[in-house]
Amino acid sequence: MSFYEEVLGVVFLSLFISITSTVIASLAGMILAIPISLKDFRLKKYIVRLSETFMSIPPVLMGLVVYLILSRKGPLGSLGLLFTPTAMIIAQSLLVFPIVFGLSISAIGSRGRKIQKNCIALGARRKDTLILIIKECKIQLLSVAAAGFGRSISEVGAVMMVGGNIKGETRVMTTYIALQTGQGEFNEAITIGVILLLVAFLVNFILHGLSKSNGNGDRS
Amino acid sequence: MNIRVDASYKEYNGKEVLRIDELCFKEGYVYALMGLNGSGKTTLLQCVSGIEPFTKGAVLYDNCRYEEHTKRDISVMLQNPYLFNFSVLENIIIGLKFRKFNKKEIKKRIESYVSYFDIKDLFNKNARELSGGERAKVSLIRTAILESKITFLDEPTASMDIENTLIAEKLIKTMAKGSRSVVLVTHDLLQAGRVADYVIFLDKGKIIEQGLVDKVLNFPEHKLLKQILNRGDGNDKNSDINY
Repeated sequence: MSFYEEVLGVVFLSLFISITSTVIASLAGMILAIPISLKDFRLKKYIVRLSETFMSIPPVLMGLVVYLILSRKGPLGSLGLLFTPTAMIIAQSLLVFPIVFGLSISAIGSRGRKIQKNCIALGARRKDTLILIIKECKIQLLSVAAAGFGRSISEVGAVMMVGGNIKGETRVMTTYIALQTGQGEFNEAITIGVILLLVAFLVNFILHGLSKSNGNGDRS
Repeated sequence: MNIRVDASYKEYNGKEVLRIDELCFKEGYVYALMGLNGSGKTTLLQCVSGIEPFTKGAVLYDNCRYEEHTKRDISVMLQNPYLFNFSVLENIIIGLKFRKFNKKEIKKRIESYVSYFDIKDLFNKNARELSGGERAKVSLIRTAILESKITFLDEPTASMDIENTLIAEKLIKTMAKGSRSVVLVTHDLLQAGRVADYVIFLDKGKIIEQGLVDKVLNFPEHKLLKQILNRGDGNDKNSDINY
């Protein structure tokens, strides 16, 4: 396998794992965050604080937890998922989820309530209300997803532990950089580093473009 | 639609802000909900219209509890109405779309309601780009076009000029035709006199006086209302109440 073929495989696997885990975490996080941000209940502040705590959980700790669950003696050991891309997606989804969940609650916040009240005022069903809240807050939610993707694409500790950095199987850009740096192969590490930076820039550029095309001036 | 409120109260952070022992809204009337700032008008409107629940109490809509389908018979224009990030036309018809009206009926309703205000030129403009007065007009049309059994309006003319205020009042009167009724929150005594049949006056979360508009505004019984209407009660130190 040539260097370029290897790099291409690494880049595609990185993107696949990061995008898949961001989509999974965003769907779960936003679907849970919307009703929580619209309602007041006693446990709400504890849930928000817990999610804020999990936002800053060290990736290696998450990697360790997922490793123990998926290892042969773990509760899901029989599935044989350890050292596969699926294990990496699970670990990254769990890392991104609290970020998306916590930031979505803040993003929807009082605006979501205002939209909800106006929807009730006009006789909307719950489904209509939910769709309108997502539509009206899509710029903020896209920013939340971008933050989640940023965490996912730049993560190294957890994917290294549960993926094993196996060449052609579970090697992604960040683990590749770590490996090459450890071996003193700085040129390769820098090349992948630049590609990683470009990918992150491109994704954020697309998301920013989407936000801008959906935004409008507001005189209120 | 007849609405009946019995022994209900609303609390925010453990503090009681509204207590209603008994209140009825009957078909075919325009009710003016009045009171000083912070007297509970908006809270009452939101609790009765189903936007927010009472902390405890009973509200009956034609002798039935509030259900998902009840909201189809009620429409509300909130104090600071939110216009969605669509065109003005989309905003006006959104309530009709929620109620699954067909295109023909939607077109018919648009034609009969937009004539009140001169807003046809704004139809393709994004609603977020409107001025305060334009927003108020669009919001009022958006609520009126639903032709609900009962309509709640929270200070609908607050940001309108006098010309549009009078047009809005004409529209409000048509919203209470037949068996339909309107509950209007207003600070304007003259507006209440022009539009309402019945006045409910609140102070500190309680109804202090209610009755036919002529009676309440011309022969008020409560001391506070007398002071506001400057009918004297020998208490001149309160005559500068900022109403």
